[in-house]
Amino acid sequence: MFEWFRNLFLLIGDKFYDNFIKDDRWTYLTNGLKTTMLILVLAFVIGIILGFLIAVVRSTHDMDGKWGFANWICKLYLTVIRGTPVVVQLMIIYFVIFKAVTLEKFIVGGIAFGLNSAAYVAEIFRSGIMSIDKGQMEAGRSLGFNYRQTMLKIIMPQAFKNVLPALGNEIITLFKETSVAGYIGMMDLTKGGDIIRSKTYDGFFPLIAVALVYLVIVIIMTKLLELLERRLRRSDH
Amino acid sequence: MITDEPIIVVEDLVKTFSTPDRTFNALDGISTTINKGEVVVVIGPSGSGKSTFIRSLNLLEVPTSGKIFFEGEDITGKNVDINRHRQRMGMVFQHFNLFPHKTVLQNIIMAPQSLKRMSKHDAEQKGMELLAMVHLEEKAGSYPAQLSGGQKQRIAIARSLAMEPEVMLFDEPTSALDPEMVGEVLDIMKALAKDGMTMVVVTHEMGFAKEVGDRVIFVNEGKILEENSPEKLFGNPKDPRLQDFLSKVLV
Repeated sequence: MFEWFRNLFLLIGDKFYDNFIKDDRWTYLTNGLKTTMLILVLAFVIGIILGFLIAVVRSTHDMDGKWGFANWICKLYLTVIRGTPVVVQLMIIYFVIFKAVTLEKFIVGGIAFGLNSAAYVAEIFRSGIMSIDKGQMEAGRSLGFNYRQTMLKIIMPQAFKNVLPALGNEIITLFKETSVAGYIGMMDLTKGGDIIRSKTYDGFFPLIAVALVYLVIVIIMTKLLELLERRLRRSDH
Repeated sequence: MITDEPIIVVEDLVKTFSTPDRTFNALDGISTTINKGEVVVVIGPSGSGKSTFIRSLNLLEVPTSGKIFFEGEDITGKNVDINRHRQRMGMVFQHFNLFPHKTVLQNIIMAPQSLKRMSKHDAEQKGMELLAMVHLEEKAGSYPAQLSGGQKQRIAIARSLAMEPEVMLFDEPTSALDPEMVGEVLDIMKALAKDGMTMVVVTHEMGFAKEVGDRVIFVNEGKILEENSPEKLFGNPKDPRLQDFLSKVLV
């Protein structure tokens, strides 16, 4: 019995050495994580800005019927983006749209995931804006604020607070979706683990390690979002 | 305090609402003049158009036809900067509509600070004076969610007054309040009226109409059926529908 455990520990030690220590293979994971984070940050910024603009167009149209054409364009965009898989969009953007352009891959990835995320962020923001009682808009306008001022000072801050949980969910989804970046040959976290697997012919250690890294980062993100939410909820007691 | 200087002149105001199954005139040709310093109380059964009427005065409802002159300028015309006029017309709503993400004092100083370019210090000083006027100085740092309905409405009045409006519009200011809180809001409104504020008040508080109103307007089905001093309108109503209405509300 003792012998059996000893052999097991030796085996685990060997595997661990092979997969992570030998030839500094752990750097596939750390470099991969760096790439994943770069894509995430870029995609998130693009997603928030573009999503915000789409939401403003859509909810302004919902509220007073203005901007019909812009609204139509936005709806078309949402339909196409939400109706096709992100990995297909990623490949189209890399192999078709940016075919003739040399760009850092993480920039192409960031753009692709950002354009995708914008569609979801837009609907999250729009639901937030529409959830604010119309009395708020009327109160702002009756004081003499114009539409834009009322939106920015009164509607948006409340809407943002309401959609924070959904927005947090979107960041987490986006973070995990970047794991298909390998399809355009990007060395992200998932791809890093996969490369180790192809070198050691052992799937267990590298893939579990990859999964753990994603999990830990999602847990950290969740905690940070909770803190932010609590700060913003101060006016609700 | 009533002058004979008109501040709001309404000419043949019509507002048509269309729903998929019908079209109806919420306002069906309303004309009246409100003078500086006057307290005009608008009464009428629910659905009579009285709320639509008061909301039209600052163009929260855009009239289908007719004209509204505010301080001599037709505000229904094209190329009118309505925001500029709204800064001079305060409005108090049935459901208060305080900004829940701002403290009481922030609610009050927001408009004067950004629209009148008042310094933070001056706006806050003015805000505290207004809070004193509505007896809620100690609530300056509270959030609206921490206040009772009556307190919220008093803050809403203070917020409107912070812009130093020429006219105050009250759209059923006590209808959403618990009965024991109606008095505290009416008291503030009475004090305002006494100070000479021009007021248009849509309300079901007939006691207020009698005590404070200079003129009472009875609206039904989008039309003004009778308007008179409160003594005459309540003491000797002529229109049969007004008689019927009063028999139901004055128990």
